[in-house]
Amino acid sequence: MTRALSDPETRLGLRLIVGKLFEYRRDAVASVVSALIWMGLVVAGPYLEKLIIDRAIVGRRQDLLLPLVGLLLVVGGVKAVGIGGRRWYAFRLSYRAETDLRNRIFEHIQRLTFSFHDATATGELMARASSDLSQVRLIYAMLPITVANVAMFVLVGGVLVALDPVLGSLADLAIPVMGILAFVYARRVIGTSFELQQSLARMSTVVEEGVSGIRVVKAFGAEATEIDRVDRTSQQIFEASMKLAGQRAAFLPGFELVPAAATALVLWLGGLRVVDGAMTLGDFVAFTQYLVLLVFPLRLTGWFFAELPRAAAAAARVVQLLRTAPEITDPDEPAEMPEGPGEIRFSRVEFSYPGGPPVLRGVDLVVPGGSSVALVGGTGSGKTTLAYLIPRFYDPDRGAVLLDGVDVRRLRLDDLRREVALVFEDTFLFSASIRDNIAFGNPDASDDQITLAARLAGAHDFISALPDGYDTMVGERGLSLSGGQRQRIALARALLRDPRVLILDDATSSVDAATEAEIRRNLKGVMRGRTTVIVAHRTSTLALADRVVLLEDGVVVAVGPHRRLLAEVPRYREVLAEMDPEEATA
Amino acid sequence: MTLRYARMGSDDRPEDPGKVLRRAVGEGRHLLWPALGAAAATLVATAARLAGPLVVRTGVDQGVSVGDRGVITWAASIYLGLLVLFYLASRWSTWAVAAVGERYLRRLRVRVYRHLMGLDLGFFERTKTGVLVSRMTSDLEALTTFTNEGAIAVITSTLTVLGVGVGLVVVDPALAAVVLVVFPLLIGASLVFRRYADEAYRRVREEIGLVLSSLQEGIAGVRVVQAYTQERHQLKRFHRVNRRYYEANLDAARAISVYFPAVDFLRTSTIGLVLLVGGSRVLAGQSTVGSLIAFLLYLNWFFEPIVQLSNVYNLAQAALAALSKLFGILDRKPAVAEAPHPVDLPEPVRGELRFEGVTFGYDPAAPVLQDVHLVIPPGQRVAVVGETGAGKSTLAKLAVRFYDPQEGRVCLDGYDLRQVSFRSLRRWVAMVPQEGYLFDGSVRDNIAYGRPGLDDETIWEVCERLGIDGWVRSLPERLDTQVRERGSRLSSGERQLLSLARTMAADPAVIVLDEATSNLDPETEATVERALGELLAGRTAIVIAHRLQTAERADRVVVIDEGRIVEDGTFADLVAAGGHFAGLRQVWADIHRTA
Ligand SMILES: Nc1ncnc2c1ncn2[C@@H]1O[C@H](COP(=O)(O)OP(=O)(O)OP(=O)(O)O)[C@@H](O)[C@H]1O
Ligand SMILES: Nc1ncnc2c1ncn2[C@@H]1O[C@H](COP(=O)(O)OP(=O)(O)OP(=O)(O)O)[C@@H](O)[C@H]1O
Ligand SMILES: [Mg+2]
Repeated sequence: MTRALSDPETRLGLRLIVGKLFEYRRDAVASVVSALIWMGLVVAGPYLEKLIIDRAIVGRRQDLLLPLVGLLLVVGGVKAVGIGGRRWYAFRLSYRAETDLRNRIFEHIQRLTFSFHDATATGELMARASSDLSQVRLIYAMLPITVANVAMFVLVGGVLVALDPVLGSLADLAIPVMGILAFVYARRVIGTSFELQQSLARMSTVVEEGVSGIRVVKAFGAEATEIDRVDRTSQQIFEASMKLAGQRAAFLPGFELVPAAATALVLWLGGLRVVDGAMTLGDFVAFTQYLVLLVFPLRLTGWFFAELPRAAAAAARVVQLLRTAPEITDPDEPAEMPEGPGEIRFSRVEFSYPGGPPVLRGVDLVVPGGSSVALVGGTGSGKTTLAYLIPRFYDPDRGAVLLDGVDVRRLRLDDLRREVALVFEDTFLFSASIRDNIAFGNPDASDDQITLAARLAGAHDFISALPDGYDTMVGERGLSLSGGQRQRIALARALLRDPRVLILDDATSSVDAATEAEIRRNLKGVMRGRTTVIVAHRTSTLALADRVVLLEDGVVVAVGPHRRLLAEVPRYREVLAEMDPEEATA
Repeated sequence: MTLRYARMGSDDRPEDPGKVLRRAVGEGRHLLWPALGAAAATLVATAARLAGPLVVRTGVDQGVSVGDRGVITWAASIYLGLLVLFYLASRWSTWAVAAVGERYLRRLRVRVYRHLMGLDLGFFERTKTGVLVSRMTSDLEALTTFTNEGAIAVITSTLTVLGVGVGLVVVDPALAAVVLVVFPLLIGASLVFRRYADEAYRRVREEIGLVLSSLQEGIAGVRVVQAYTQERHQLKRFHRVNRRYYEANLDAARAISVYFPAVDFLRTSTIGLVLLVGGSRVLAGQSTVGSLIAFLLYLNWFFEPIVQLSNVYNLAQAALAALSKLFGILDRKPAVAEAPHPVDLPEPVRGELRFEGVTFGYDPAAPVLQDVHLVIPPGQRVAVVGETGAGKSTLAKLAVRFYDPQEGRVCLDGYDLRQVSFRSLRRWVAMVPQEGYLFDGSVRDNIAYGRPGLDDETIWEVCERLGIDGWVRSLPERLDTQVRERGSRLSSGERQLLSLARTMAADPAVIVLDEATSNLDPETEATVERALGELLAGRTAIVIAHRLQTAERADRVVVIDEGRIVEDGTFADLVAAGGHFAGLRQVWADIHRTA
């Protein structure tokens, strides 16, 4: 355990645990004090009983019986209060720490950059904020009683020696033996329980995938494959659990055995000493009572120290998450948001995803304020990536992106993103009403504004036709709406933001031509005076833009109005000729 | 068109616990013997532990009190022997109980998942992913926690309370009567506690569910949150949810912080009473000191298990609630199920698809498709066009039997899909759903998904045909490249290409593409369509797309409007007919002209 506790990882975790303890020191102190009072009186109990037996019963003093029992009850009352205080404050402490840490994790996750989320599985983050925190919480809940228990070992150890030095020292041996036992147990168990934790996490991932991808699973009749994955993971859980069960079975009864063995010793040696007159019968009874007293605390303490390294490891993982600095943050000295028409300039922009090949290799591009451009290019050519650089979802490796002449890295993120609204190619809807989904970026928007945005996005008609209208609840990822319906809600969400720069990343790919034409007419009005970047695959969408930008091999190969490019750029013609022979000749 | 919402998060209604318990026991019938073995070991361990005080009494009364060293040594030896017995039995019982529990859970877990996988798509569309994940994880873990920490405690504690009860009566019936006086108080306190705690813990379970689903949504939707600068707003909402969880827990803590001290005080009072009454009886010569001591030892063991039982009470409650939710899943009948005597499609499958008077609505009262008649001869490629929400995807879902029509039938090669075995149906009919989903794994795993164990050669061949071999070769680890969760390291078009490759690799006779190329650039799309043309030669295909040229390339075009087929014919015919489709095409043309 010492080895486990001394590695830097674990120390990091322990520091977090102790830090929180300090933060909630009032609850911590209150619970420890209550626990100590409780413990003191627990220890006093058998002594009082001994007094009653020795003085009143064996000593034949009927008159002492009642007052002594009265004293016992008073002590019992105070003890009960101690128990209540200990439990209450310990619980409050532990839940405070848990909720507080969970809030911090959530806050941090919300701030971490796209690149972090690209590389981190949802299940992993979920584990940080759920099972890891439960692990940490347990330690807080157990801490006060463990402090009291350790104090109790010292006290009871002393009392035993005081009652009978010879027998006491012998019986006290139970305490270090228990310590060693707990130590060995902790060492054994930590690896196994980590294994178990891992397979449980895997189970959650496997199920999450099988359920989210259920359409694909069913489309390929791959239920058996998924069941097999769960079966295998279940087997891993089973094996780890059984290994753990074997270890627990070997040790847990041992925690009871050791104090009981001490009792046997007391029965034998103590009995003989009473016969020899070296000890009173009351002492003898007290002895056995004290040993019984130790059983549960010893067990609990052993358990606490077995859990501690696990909790420290969990806390360390939490600390590491909290320490991961968001790669994209507000600048130290933010510039004022420039007043301007929303001109976007890419200047020698180079970018690659971590560990990947270059995606953008020196993009130079100016989108004049209030104009619109369409980005065209092959699959995987970097259109989305280029669009993501404007609201700073990623920062370029080299070069700069400027909004109205100011490098976006010099702007406050909130200011920048308030002016730049992006509709993602994959629609994400929250499980909330349609109204809340549209008003997501403007929680205070009025119903009129929401309806207007929905109208512009061509969504108002179908929403009104729903039985609950705007109050219709849409599920996670909005799977009960059609693809085009979902996209239009996402579009309305962006329009409601009334941004200076509007970016539509293939935002109407699932919308039929007629509806798209309607949206297009509406957008014509909306786009006036607003810079618009449209990623498009369809000629019909390209038509929206003042100019088209052809992206290939990470650079801009042509810029200009659709017609001119058709006339002058063979490559562009190639792309479109393939797409629509009829149009290319038109 | 009603969107009905199954609020599965809060179905934590305390269903009759007795019934749940009986069923849970029934589920474990095959574990009867191991369970009996575990119970026997627990019984032996408990008996060995309980015999201890009796030995002490004998040692004190007949050894210590009368000064007989032999008896003392004997008693100590027997006590030691009991300890060894206790250790062995207890070790066995701890292990055996865990073994029974884990085997039970191992089976239940797979059984629930198997059942889940057999449920219809409609169920999944109505239920949050997070809820189903928590069935398979936290609910089952609640059961594990109970078997590990609760089950033994319940067995030993119950046995101990009973055994000690007997012991108390044997040692001193008069004193036992004293304890009996306290008993009703204890029960009363426990009942009050139970009433309060049940409600508190129910709320705790509900709130933790909400915390977890908010968390999950916060993570899944984090990109949208950041794009719309709603971090602070989201955080405020999360604080509220988290706060309610905290308060529910404090309520439970309050119950605990009152109940346990009360029980402890009852214990002290009982000891006081026993000393008072027992002491007087010893003084009056009606009883021995040894009996009193043994009685006191027993008394400790009487209260300890009661405290223990209350400690695991919420574990038991949580386990019961979890069981009843899991049974809830097992009880759900799939709306789309395999026929009792399913037939395999006779090979070779020709691929004639026939919709006969099909009417269907997600809510039967509001049909999405109405009286659809459509016959697709083998090998034909049909483009389905229509406005968003017209019912195109729904038609596709019926063609692969994700749903069953409410009226009419869908037939393949003359067999009603409802009669065909799932194995045969999924083998010959494949669909690329609108939202192509990739699994966390390598490119190879994803392409070979429908055909596990497909050799690399075939995979490369599929890639070549689709014209993506160059791209795959350019990936850092080619086929071994990890695409990450939902394929997040790929562009949207690349994801669609992989979905297509996956379908190609499955080599179906009927293929349904639901906007499977919507995110591809025109050039790539053309390559893909040419490849499909080759691959699909002789295969039936339904292609849903919003692009004009897709319709143009198809053998036939079907126009759906508000759930009905309004036009059906070749591209040229429909244009000439001057109907709905011609209108649509006009819109296209208009757009292009202004372009
Ligand atoms: N799981 C569902 N539960 C309830 N209603 C649904 C569900 N899926 C779709 N709908 C509704 O059924 C109607 C038809 O949807 P469908 O997905 O078939 O449209 P679509 O023609 O494919 O549209 P798109 O071109 O936008 O994909 C829509 O009004 C939609 O809201
Ligand atoms: N998160 C990521 N990590 C690593 N590589 C990525 C990531 N996202 C995209 N890529 C890679 O970067 C390249 C450009 O991707 P991007 O999404 O910008 O393409 P795109 O032009 O938008 O394509 P599409 O038309 O398919 O949407 C692709 O080759 C893709 O595989
Ligand atoms: Mg893209």
